[in-house]
Amino acid sequence: MIFIIDDDEIMAECVARACDGEEVMVFANAIEAMAKITDGVMPDLVLLDVLLDGPDGFTMLNEMVSYDDTARIPVVLITSLDLVGRDLSTYGVVGVLAKDKMRPGDVRKYVRRYVGVA
Amino acid sequence: MEEVEGILVAAHELKAPLAVLRQLAFALPEMDGLGEHVRSEMVSVSERAIKQVNDLAKMRRLEDGLFEMEPVAIREVCDAVHRELDYLYKYNRRNLAMDYRNKSRLVVANRELLYSVIYNFALNAMHYSNDGTEAELAVRDCRGRVRVSVRDYGPMLPVDVWREMKRGCIEKPTSVAMRPGSSGLGLFIASRFARYMGAAVGAVRHRDGTSFYVELPVSEQASLFGI
Repeated sequence: MIFIIDDDEIMAECVARACDGEEVMVFANAIEAMAKITDGVMPDLVLLDVLLDGPDGFTMLNEMVSYDDTARIPVVLITSLDLVGRDLSTYGVVGVLAKDKMRPGDVRKYVRRYVGVA
Repeated sequence: MEEVEGILVAAHELKAPLAVLRQLAFALPEMDGLGEHVRSEMVSVSERAIKQVNDLAKMRRLEDGLFEMEPVAIREVCDAVHRELDYLYKYNRRNLAMDYRNKSRLVVANRELLYSVIYNFALNAMHYSNDGTEAELAVRDCRGRVRVSVRDYGPMLPVDVWREMKRGCIEKPTSVAMRPGSSGLGLFIASRFARYMGAAVGAVRHRDGTSFYVELPVSEQASLFGI
């Protein structure tokens, strides 16, 4: 299961399409995504935008790393902010993709690496 | 410094639709039977980006005073905005309701700038409305002027932004979201255009959303509509 969190509906749809047919859940904000995790749905991978409606991506990352179970979930940031190359591993971030430069194959690379491998 | 920040905000706002367009272009060859859907999305997103670029270019032309003031039929402008945005509203599963209660049909404005102001308000309302809901574009007489307001049912406007609008003008777009997901660039542009036309912009905070409005002077010229 992959969580995609992006308030741009069309961008989220594009990212979902790049997920190689894996099961995805799309959320427009961090609160809905965290509520789903609280309900017991644990994603294999989170693809997270940073500038979101409501709490931003870093607020969600802070929330995730503060719990033992969610701290282990790999997160890929998909953002238009200039964060590529920054080491955000303390937030559980395994990769950063720039929205204006990424290709569907870049998303697939992470999907193949982290989804269904457990 | 403020100008640089404004440019950064504008650049960021324009980057978003361009990035979406790029992803849609990648998706197009992989679509079976859904190509038309993707094509529509590309048209819609590119139109949004072009509109933003055009408004920014117009802001530069304000300094040269190139926009003449004239009597403008306000309902005709609102109808034109409604026609242009109807597709986008329906595509996003929303509706824009029109409510005309004005007796004064002509206002003093520049049609092009006025169109941009109302378009920005209506686009903003679409963005902040939920699926299946309705935004309202209303025109009414108000203390010797004509008020055009667009009401959405989204998040409430932060009180500091409301105060800034009450003072008469948004001084600059801000990198801190004015409402979730917004830099306020559209509002900043609308505010500048209104100031140029001698109109006033403002906002009304509701518990379940926000109304943005522009108030325009009534034209003394006789209206062809007979009122």
